[in-house]
Amino acid sequence: MKIIIRTLSGKWRKKINTDKSPNPEYTLQLLQLLSDNSYDIVFQKKLTSEGIVTIIFSSSLIEKMTLQAVVLAPLSHSLHQIHQIAERMQYNQISEIENKINAGYTILYFHETKQYLALDTYSAPIRAITNTEIESTVIGPQDAFTESLETNISLIRRRIHNHYLKNESIYIGNNKQYQVSIMYVDNIVNKKLLKKLKKRLQHINPPPLLDTAVLKQLIEDNPFSPFPQYYMSVRPDTIAHYLLDGRMALLINNSQTVIICPTSFFEMFTSIEDYYNRWTTATLLRSLRFFGFFITIMITPMYISTLTFHPEILPYELLLNLQESRSKVPFPPLIEVLFIELIIEVLREAGSRMPAKVGQTIGIVGGIVIGTAAVEAGLISNILIVLVATSALLSFLPPIFLMSNTSRLVRYFFIIAAGLFGLFGQMLAFAWLITHLLRIRSLGEPYMVPLIPRKWTDLLNSVVRFPMAYLKNRMGISKSQKS
Amino acid sequence: MRLTQKKVLTKVHVLFLVQSCLIGTGILQIPQKLSAMGYSQAFMPLFFALIATINLWPMLWLNSKFPNNNLFQINEILLGKTIGKFINFLLIILFTIVCIDAISSYMLLIQSTALPEQTITFPIICFLALLIYLVRGGIFTIARFSIMAFFITLPMVLLTKWAIQKGEFSHFFPLFNFTLQEFYEASKNGYLSFLGYELILFYYPYIIQQKSAFKYATIGIWISGVLMLITTGVSVMYFSEWQLSNIEYAVLNIFKAGEYSFIERIDIIGMTLWIFLVYSTVALYLWAANEGFKTLILPKSQIHLYILVISIFIMLILPISKYLKMKIFTINNYIFYLLLLWPIFLILIYLFRKKQVHQ
Repeated sequence: MKIIIRTLSGKWRKKINTDKSPNPEYTLQLLQLLSDNSYDIVFQKKLTSEGIVTIIFSSSLIEKMTLQAVVLAPLSHSLHQIHQIAERMQYNQISEIENKINAGYTILYFHETKQYLALDTYSAPIRAITNTEIESTVIGPQDAFTESLETNISLIRRRIHNHYLKNESIYIGNNKQYQVSIMYVDNIVNKKLLKKLKKRLQHINPPPLLDTAVLKQLIEDNPFSPFPQYYMSVRPDTIAHYLLDGRMALLINNSQTVIICPTSFFEMFTSIEDYYNRWTTATLLRSLRFFGFFITIMITPMYISTLTFHPEILPYELLLNLQESRSKVPFPPLIEVLFIELIIEVLREAGSRMPAKVGQTIGIVGGIVIGTAAVEAGLISNILIVLVATSALLSFLPPIFLMSNTSRLVRYFFIIAAGLFGLFGQMLAFAWLITHLLRIRSLGEPYMVPLIPRKWTDLLNSVVRFPMAYLKNRMGISKSQKS
Repeated sequence: MRLTQKKVLTKVHVLFLVQSCLIGTGILQIPQKLSAMGYSQAFMPLFFALIATINLWPMLWLNSKFPNNNLFQINEILLGKTIGKFINFLLIILFTIVCIDAISSYMLLIQSTALPEQTITFPIICFLALLIYLVRGGIFTIARFSIMAFFITLPMVLLTKWAIQKGEFSHFFPLFNFTLQEFYEASKNGYLSFLGYELILFYYPYIIQQKSAFKYATIGIWISGVLMLITTGVSVMYFSEWQLSNIEYAVLNIFKAGEYSFIERIDIIGMTLWIFLVYSTVALYLWAANEGFKTLILPKSQIHLYILVISIFIMLILPISKYLKMKIFTINNYIFYLLLLWPIFLILIYLFRKKQVHQ
């Protein structure tokens, strides 16, 4: 790697090839130059029984206690310990030494013997394992992933006591700077799908990979689709469940969410709690979520269609009631619906960005001011308020927040289609939706399973969840190995 | 000429491809088309299903001899390149006219009931745009769409409940009250609504388990047969003989029989939902025409589909008299009967030129 660095005297120098260093002393100088302006990179000299040792470490990634226990104490009275556990580094591999420093290692340079050693002292402060706030459940474990990769892997390993659980680490990006961890159960996972996933990962060149959500978008089959094509969860039990079904999990450091692939459209409406509930309750809840998706995209467009194009659909009394409620409204139904739907979106967005205490105010503003006052002012009809509120509630039913967002977006297509052609437009949009869902693939596997099942046993675990005793087979989308 | 096709269709796909292509816009009018037989039309769909099953056999026999070729390619193998390509060209025109027929009759229905105050051009453009999207997904997407279309529209069968309650069961009797002439007339008009299964000649190379294709295609035919039997049966019970011969869209009138406190005209919902059935039929015919077009020119290009759709659009918006349109569609339909017999003709040629073909 060639970089332009500044000399200690402050003058600019030409490009320096950091991969080539003529001698260990020069390496040390280069490292000092490279860490210029980074006050947390510490260079300390210590006198030991083997002469002067320069200690290089990042103080932001290492706790003082760890440094004392692993480096400073052994340096003063048991140097042989350090030689036993430390990793030997070549003085001309400057990039690697630098990466080690940035990964929380402590580098020791022995001036007498001209040796570089690296000690793993990473002990950056991490968040404790807490309850899940995004995917909370009433029954079942309450722990959630954190931003630490090691913690997340440990949370999964605690649930799968199996030596077949593998955790491969691959580096992606132009400079191989991002570590992605692929977890799978080796004797269950489909090897072809695993190969396909690895190939996809190796061929991407990510922008700053700050979260798995970015990675997910980069490896999706159809990046233009409004539908999320992989499941994302912060719950270790959900991930363990899918791993045991033959799926693969993708984890990266500093990200709380874990990607599961491949995933089907229907699985976006399932929650791990469905398996903790009795089968009857689970079936009811799954039906609500699944059919709720279709109701939420249809309910307000239906209002537009009926009032604009097909008033004859409604019986006289109901039509009268409806017309009466919007007798003062000056807008056509399409504008009226768009107006109130957008207000709901604004309320939701404002509510989610505000601090919790202020957020309550938003609820009052939304409920009273927008709801009651807008009707009294004659801007919208009260029947529409009921429909929009129902629709907004239904849109929050999917356990995956990305699907919840999608349902709200897709609704606008339907609203516009209904505004253009009434019921015909709505059905045209519905046919588009179905065609689109049929054309989407998740890691090359059809997205619309098990609505169109890959295996007949998939139907036992679809909208109706059969009792646990019947759920013996893995899902068809996994294409798992026979075991 | 033998091409290795990517086999993607399972037996379930075959079942629903056959089934859904049979139920297009034809079923809406079938009671009227069979009205020459009066009340005795009720069991005609079963007769049609039997004929279709028998007709399916030579088709699949021919396909089994050329497991990796569709009818377009078989034509070229058996009849030579020039004649084969000419026949293929005719087939493409035939299928395109079927698409125009189905779309124009459905759009006419939509315009007359759901969108009476709008011109139909923009809805047609939207309809065709989605059609392109569907057909570009390939036969696999069309097959899966057919499955969805079946289950989305199946609940409409429940809407016949009120017509059955209000209908008169005694209309069924006497069972065989018709002359041979009436039977011929009804069969000639009505069997057209039962077309669609012949397209298996074109998607056969894509079927994974080709040996079980006959079984599942037959199940598909009989599911459609039963659905049509319900339609004709309920129509016979609900309508008078005069109404049967004069009401054009009997199914929609059956839906109107329903009485609900919250909805008055459920037939409009039913009719707009029918779009799924129209798509599953039209997409398959358009896909077949597209496949044929590829055998004529530029096999690797994607342009064929757009040419076909643009020509369909032009034909749909051209100010042709309804009379002329009907005449074209009727002639086209009768040529279709020839297509049903075409495999038998090809089998004879195959038997005659067996050695040459295998060489």
